[in-house]
Amino acid sequence: MSGAPAPLVPPRPPAGGAGGLPLLRLLQLASPQLPVGAFAWSSGLEGAVEAGWVQDDAGLGDWLAGLLGGPWAHQDLPALARLHAAWTLGDAVAVAHWNDWLSATRETAELRAEDRALGRALARLLATLDLPEAAAWAGAEAHTGYATMFALAAARWGVPVEATLQALAWAWIENQVVAATRLMPLGQSAAQRRLAALMPDIEAAVALALALEDDELGCSAAGLALASCRHETQYTRLFRS
Amino acid sequence: MTAALRSDVAGGWQARLELGFAPVAARTALVHSAHRGPLRVQRPFHPEADGSCHVYLLHPPGGVVGGDGLALDVQLAPGAQALLTTPSASRFYRSAGARALQRQLLRVGAGARLDWLPQETIVFDGARLASTTRLELAGDAAACAWEIVCLGRPAAGEGWTHGEARFGFELWRDGRPLLLEHTPCRPGSALARAAWGLGGHVTFATLVATGACSERLARLRESLGSADRLGLTHCDDLLVARYRGPDAAEARRLFTAIWRDWRTAGGGEAPAPPRVWAT
Repeated sequence: MSGAPAPLVPPRPPAGGAGGLPLLRLLQLASPQLPVGAFAWSSGLEGAVEAGWVQDDAGLGDWLAGLLGGPWAHQDLPALARLHAAWTLGDAVAVAHWNDWLSATRETAELRAEDRALGRALARLLATLDLPEAAAWAGAEAHTGYATMFALAAARWGVPVEATLQALAWAWIENQVVAATRLMPLGQSAAQRRLAALMPDIEAAVALALALEDDELGCSAAGLALASCRHETQYTRLFRS
Repeated sequence: MTAALRSDVAGGWQARLELGFAPVAARTALVHSAHRGPLRVQRPFHPEADGSCHVYLLHPPGGVVGGDGLALDVQLAPGAQALLTTPSASRFYRSAGARALQRQLLRVGAGARLDWLPQETIVFDGARLASTTRLELAGDAAACAWEIVCLGRPAAGEGWTHGEARFGFELWRDGRPLLLEHTPCRPGSALARAAWGLGGHVTFATLVATGACSERLARLRESLGSADRLGLTHCDDLLVARYRGPDAAEARRLFTAIWRDWRTAGGGEAPAPPRVWAT
């Protein structure tokens, strides 16, 4: 093989990655500019800061890395992968099951409210893009989870499953770190360093999520639940409950 | 005698208990009871004016070890009212290798009411187990159920340094999951140590009750306080309470107050806590 010229073909995207139009659609889907109102919610982080369980940049890293390796790797991301497959196969029963399943793992009223507010907003948005089938999920009675609509868009736009999981985890982590900049002394550059530091945790959580069987799923976060319960009755707060 | 019955080669007890409750005349009767192995009930009794049937479940004498399998099937016919508890804590002992498996299925028919109030489960150092408790409600069935888990025996100075315990606590209605909790614990794991998980606490517990309303939730928050150790919320039409702290007795005291309040929803009197807890 020595001396053979390098083949003149563009490098292929890594296995499982998105390229071309699917990549652009995925960037749109994961953008903080997506008008679903995610900025108004803190996923329990404000309660955790109020309780003193998350106090600084390092504590934020521990909190988010732990949630990625725990509930995200064992619940959100495996459910997202199953929803992606269900939408791809047109299996409406499986879509409904995994939507309900993920909803039932949400520990508190406000965590459910956050997930459904975002899910309904994304359903409305997708219906105005090129996915009219999302409109059926825009009503309150559907208990629409954000992951359910995220998976619909990714599946219809040709985004591979692994990239879909990475993108949702990234979008959530970015929203959490931005929320943290409003809750604690954390500058813009430090926030970017924190995001970069969490990338290996996202990658690991996605890899674990894709390897789990159904009977290995589930990881409740008792502390997150308590933080969220505190937030539901917190006297003054920046984020919705 | 128990040691002689337990087969080390085959890997322990395979115990099974089936209980069926149904309304008979003005009260609920235990109409079906079948067991295999050392999983039993004491004679049912009717201490309440509403005719509900109370039953004490007896776990295998001497606790549960690796390789044991416990299966409990409880079915309440439509309109039945039953309260199940245990006279003492359930104990899972150190295992040389095999896991103990516990599966508890509680099916509650339309119009029926189940109080599932077992004392705590103690996971001894070195125990390996997987436990699932699943409530399946039909239609307007009512239930108040809890699960209290203690990792190690802090009162005896015994921590929880090795082993593996996976707890599942689920509530379904008409085939749809309403609350799914899974706690896969390993000593020293992030879940066991971190603030988002158990935060280093040895006791964790969840109560779930049907028919949540915001007035009741507000009243309970007022009377029980919202300490760092207790969280109260509602998940759709469920009242959910969670405890994370040092002490199973504290969890049971708080949950008992919630259960008694829940029972007064229809205008009735708060029931007395089962007398067996006091012994």
